[in-house]
Amino acid sequence: MTELSIAEEPVPAPARGPSMQQAINLALEKVLEEDPTTLVFGEDVGRLGGVFRVTDGLQRRFGAERVFDTPLAESGIVGLAVGLAMNGWRPIPELQFDGFAYPALDQIVNQMARMHYRSRGTAPMPITLRLPSFGGIQAPEHHGESLEALFAHVPGLKVCAPSDPADAYRLLLQSVRADDPVIYMEPKARYWDRGPAELAEPTEPIGSSRVVRPGRHATLVAWGAMVHRCLQVADLAAEDGVDLEVVDLRWLKPIDADGLAASVARTRRAVVVHEAPLTAGLGAEVAALITERTFGDLLAPVQRVTGFDVPYPAGPLEPQYLPTLDRVLLAVQRTLEA
Amino acid sequence: MSAPRPADPHPETTGTASPALLRDFYRTMLTARLLDEEAVALQRQGVFPAYVSLRGQEAAQVGSAAALDRDHDFAFPTYREMAVALALDVDMVGYLASHRALWHGGLYDPMRSRFAPINAVVGGPVPHAVGWALGERLRGDPGCAIAYFGDGASSEGDVHEAMNFAAVFAAPVVFFCQNNQWALSVPNDRQVAGGSIAARAAGYGMPGVTVDGNDVVAVHAAVREALERARSGAGPSVIEARTYRLGPHSTSDDPGRYRDPDEERRWRERDPIARLRAVLERDGHADTAFFEEAEREAGEQAIRIRDGVSSAPPPGGEEMFTHVYREPTEALRAQQRAWREEAEL
Amino acid sequence: MAEQTFALPDLGEGLVEATVLEWLVRPGERVERNQPLVELETTKSAVEIPSPCSGTVVRLHASEEETLRVGAALVTFEVDSAAGIVGTVPGGERPTRRVRLRPPAE
Ligand SMILES: Cc1ncc(C[n+]2csc(CCOP(=O)(O)OP(=O)(O)O)c2C)c(N)n1
Ligand SMILES: [Mg+2]
Repeated sequence: MTELSIAEEPVPAPARGPSMQQAINLALEKVLEEDPTTLVFGEDVGRLGGVFRVTDGLQRRFGAERVFDTPLAESGIVGLAVGLAMNGWRPIPELQFDGFAYPALDQIVNQMARMHYRSRGTAPMPITLRLPSFGGIQAPEHHGESLEALFAHVPGLKVCAPSDPADAYRLLLQSVRADDPVIYMEPKARYWDRGPAELAEPTEPIGSSRVVRPGRHATLVAWGAMVHRCLQVADLAAEDGVDLEVVDLRWLKPIDADGLAASVARTRRAVVVHEAPLTAGLGAEVAALITERTFGDLLAPVQRVTGFDVPYPAGPLEPQYLPTLDRVLLAVQRTLEA
Repeated sequence: MSAPRPADPHPETTGTASPALLRDFYRTMLTARLLDEEAVALQRQGVFPAYVSLRGQEAAQVGSAAALDRDHDFAFPTYREMAVALALDVDMVGYLASHRALWHGGLYDPMRSRFAPINAVVGGPVPHAVGWALGERLRGDPGCAIAYFGDGASSEGDVHEAMNFAAVFAAPVVFFCQNNQWALSVPNDRQVAGGSIAARAAGYGMPGVTVDGNDVVAVHAAVREALERARSGAGPSVIEARTYRLGPHSTSDDPGRYRDPDEERRWRERDPIARLRAVLERDGHADTAFFEEAEREAGEQAIRIRDGVSSAPPPGGEEMFTHVYREPTEALRAQQRAWREEAEL
Repeated sequence: MAEQTFALPDLGEGLVEATVLEWLVRPGERVERNQPLVELETTKSAVEIPSPCSGTVVRLHASEEETLRVGAALVTFEVDSAAGIVGTVPGGERPTRRVRLRPPAE
């Protein structure tokens, strides 16, 4: 076979709007400015400005009391956020990489997610946990994980993953202003790509998806960096006369079941694409929601194109693990043939 | 590239070691230095996606590894223990394969090498050393484990739990902390409350010592003593080797953003390799011919390993599936078949 | 003798571009492997790129202060032997496909 290339296409003339990493920085600056109870902390977020420079300049601007480095302990970071939240603060902790959310899972699941419930609604828990996530950058182990299904499964959490700078800005403002704990997953592979869009205030409620490309023959559903992959697939499909709709889910909990149903009721075919492994991945939830609501309209079973049930692999195996253009195209073809 | 020469050689060492052993230390430390430089260059040349340099920590790594019993002991590294691997004769092409992102844990055989897979979870492997050591004790075998970890790692709950477990079970383990003053951008004074990792040993009822981590003889002596103690059944101990990360945290890092170049300069003057050389010269244990020969051999070995890792074949895609289980599930086999069919389209 | 072009590698965890700060070699100059070639600046830091091979510099593909995408040509050498440049440069190629779709009958 010829080696499949999953490289992102070179952007012809780089758009000059802010990159996603800058957009998140600007959103953090905005919430630090508008709400004196917000606090930004984590490993290397202060003096260094974060390993991806997402918190660059914030400590200088807002001081080391509101933007600070913690010792190296993820469980401690989330536990600290829980206590601060109970005492009236609005913490925005960062865990440095997806894989290092695992050492904090106890505090996330057993504490942060259910303190509001445990306290019968008396303990506020307005925490936004920022988590650089997903793969595609040839990084070391534990730097390419997709934990959304794990988080979405936990009662009490909300979860989102933006796919471009403008949405990254909006979703962060929504997450921080929300009064519940939100896991905000940042697609590392898209950090440096710039968007042309202006940054604007969110206008839609938490839990709304968006159609990033309208089409009539089938709906591709994705989030994070896979939205970009699906847009590439839609371009290729168009060359063959197939018109694909791409839905960016954005919110992985709550999921916009109505938005999904509306799209699929029109296209009557659906393919969900994610980086995480197949089994018990969020694709199963999406497929179930679509099927429950549009069973009579569907011309084919909902298809899933995902990572495999294997640990996220190293460099050269990464492109073989992540959904390739061809794997998505094959799944589309299956829905067209059924 | 020639070995660094000190401005202030600090030639004193606190212990004694045979001249032959000192010369061995020198050769291994120098090879590690030159290989480290090649690895940094490979990252800049696009061959390694990233690399973590151990520059400045050669004495701590080589001195500690050299104290191990190669037939019985087992080392649990982090991601920065390249010179430990070298000193333990780990297959270095397989070691560096991890940095070329061929396989995350490396492509050497960790069980035969008695050097666990490279581990990027800070603090994560430390409890494993305790478990491994307890396993030796339960079986009545003589092996000891050594857990490598950093000053940053000392903040992780896993490390505290491991120390307590080790003491409760009297496990034959040595907690070897390379305190290189920095955990990425965070300095010791924002990381280590109380200022000493060795001092924490007292809280867990075991000995804790601080050594000059740039003095290979002192490190070697301290680790040997801790191993003897563990092997005799007297339980675990903590060694804090004070050293310095001379380079950036990784090739993706820019220490100019957070630390003072004067501090780096001061530590460069305490370069462990230059220091050992000064001792060898002072005591007449090595002559010019030795240093020239060591330089040549180290350079050749570094280039051999560099070329080996640069041209090593990447594992095939099948390997994504074959190592997940010893007893693979039918569902995973089906995914593998689907993957292969698509690959062969 | 053969010409070899060295493309801008990803200098750190998914970076997409870098800016040339200063060339440390000139066309026609002889370089040894690992000799400093050029100083670049990325979003994260300034870095010196060591030559991936021994040979003669034929062409510099960017001027100082110019920003390059990862995968773009940086410098062309005439090399003594073809060995030296190894590894992959991410981000350079267009996405490829082999599967063709058949549109549904409407
Ligand atoms: C559990 C975990 N959290 C965060 C990281 C990201 N990270 C990698 S190395 C590092 C600093 C480690 O410092 P230290 O323990 O002192 O070791 P050193 O790098 O200095 O050798 C951080 C924060 C990680 N690898 N693992
Ligand atoms: Mg350290």
